[in-house]
Amino acid sequence: MAFSSLLVKTQLPQSLRQSTPLILACRQGHTVRGKPVGVAKTLEQRLAEENKQDPELTARVNIGLPKLKQSRSELFKDRWAHIKAQRANTELEKKTRSQQLLIDLKQVDQDYGLTTRGFDLRVIADHYGIFEDLFGAAYFIPRVNLNIQYEADAETLVPVYNGNVIKPKEARNQPLVSFDGTTDPITGKPQKEDSYWTLVATNPDGHFNEGDKEYVHWFVSNIPNGDVQKGDVIVNYLPPFPPKGIGYQRFVFILYKQNKKLDFSSLKLAEADYANLDKRTFKTYDFYRQYQDEITPAGLAFYQTDYDKSLTKFYHDVLNLKEPIFEYDFPEPYLADQKFFPLRQAFNLYMDRHRDIKQVNKEYLEQKLAKTHPFNGPEPELRYPNAHPIKNKPSWLRTEIRKQRLRMGRINDYVN
Amino acid sequence: MSGHFRPPTSAHVLRKIKQLSVPKADAIYMTNRNPRNLEKLRIANKPMGYHLEKPGRSFWHKLEVNVSGRYVTAEVKHFQNGPIISASTSEWAIKKQLFKSKDTTAFINLARVLAARCQQSGITEMMCNIEAVPGGKLDKFLKTVEENGVALKEPPQYVNPKPWDAKREDKPWDVLEEDIKN
Repeated sequence: MAFSSLLVKTQLPQSLRQSTPLILACRQGHTVRGKPVGVAKTLEQRLAEENKQDPELTARVNIGLPKLKQSRSELFKDRWAHIKAQRANTELEKKTRSQQLLIDLKQVDQDYGLTTRGFDLRVIADHYGIFEDLFGAAYFIPRVNLNIQYEADAETLVPVYNGNVIKPKEARNQPLVSFDGTTDPITGKPQKEDSYWTLVATNPDGHFNEGDKEYVHWFVSNIPNGDVQKGDVIVNYLPPFPPKGIGYQRFVFILYKQNKKLDFSSLKLAEADYANLDKRTFKTYDFYRQYQDEITPAGLAFYQTDYDKSLTKFYHDVLNLKEPIFEYDFPEPYLADQKFFPLRQAFNLYMDRHRDIKQVNKEYLEQKLAKTHPFNGPEPELRYPNAHPIKNKPSWLRTEIRKQRLRMGRINDYVN
Repeated sequence: MSGHFRPPTSAHVLRKIKQLSVPKADAIYMTNRNPRNLEKLRIANKPMGYHLEKPGRSFWHKLEVNVSGRYVTAEVKHFQNGPIISASTSEWAIKKQLFKSKDTTAFINLARVLAARCQQSGITEMMCNIEAVPGGKLDKFLKTVEENGVALKEPPQYVNPKPWDAKREDKPWDVLEEDIKN
């Protein structure tokens, strides 16, 4: 029994007896459901509870190279001297005060690379889910700066940083890679012996059949002292091929430092299998697990790439595939169970929502065909769609016809 | 007739909703694991905030500027992952070339560095609800960021139209860059 009627029931005899007016304060049709605000959990709290992770299982492991810290006093002595010189520079002061000073961004990038870039790169790579998808719970701080550039055409070089967008058209050719392979990344001093490196480029989002695997696009091992040209090419460079409708795929370059010269001939891809995607199936997690005693990840660069029209030719000529087109699979809209007597609902719209969609499609198609002449094509569109009167039709049908003329509602799914 | 109408229980509704997102048996699926993909395609979920709240909660990426006693720090925050890109005049790489670390020139140069880092990270659209005094340091900072190719406005979330909706919006991923240029 509703609260208000209960009040009436209990108070009515009393008020009749005492001839006092019955005063009721109640809010009709308004009840607070659930716990009140402040007691009930917020959405944030509920989501946090639902997505709770076991800290023991998700604990992250650093698999990268350590770096010896430079002594603070030594570092700051140089810096302090530089700042003192800067403060004494009147030319610089003039420029600063007149807001004309534009600092050299290339120099900033270079200094940034020598100081804190590795830590920031780790953060942004985490944001792009690179470590999670490639190494599971492991991560590393990139200690070696990778300088990768694509030759888009004769004059343009497109650099790879950390997540910038590069079109497949620009990434057709094997990129130019350079890095400092002669300096020891741990101590920061020149190395006496030869050092060997491995560069692997994979696409973790591109696998057609297995969602948790990657395609290896490029694999060069035993790169001596950072000279990529002299390395052993295990897998030849294959450009990225994001299919239409899939969105932005990541293309990740990882540089590993080898302890010694290694033999990766078991992973070698034959020249004939260049475009064989099954043989290019790769999993960084398994690869690293197998060789983890000999190699250590030291450098990282990645970009994002999405479909462009140059890929049609690539699919046909190089991969010998029919060009795939994907469509994002949105969940169907939620519909409450159909009611026997739906109140306050337009009957035709309500029935259309619950009817078999095939039946609806058929009706719209028949309607369209009825208006299409076999030789002259469809009827021309009305120039002033609302100016033509619709007579002798019930109001719901009039509205429906008007909506179809104005291209509103379901008709949009059936034209063109 | 099945008697009178019984309202559905929440468990029943939840079961129905879960059923809607189950993959169809006959379709071929490919999964893009890139966590930023849906945000770039504008279909990722964007928090809406609450009805009576001060606006400013609805974003994927947001620009924030902190001015401390001596330095300025600018960072880009993600609504789930927190700060992801940052630049500060306290960084040696920037401080090295500046005369002062909190004046207008510092703000302008910090904006240039931050914009370059955003470009390098592929995050070029972000929400910004900083109210800057016109002609002030912050105003110049924001203008420089925009001049260097970072938009300080985020596109709205794309909502898939239901069959009975009046209008059909263009799907962001169907519009190719090449078609726009020509």
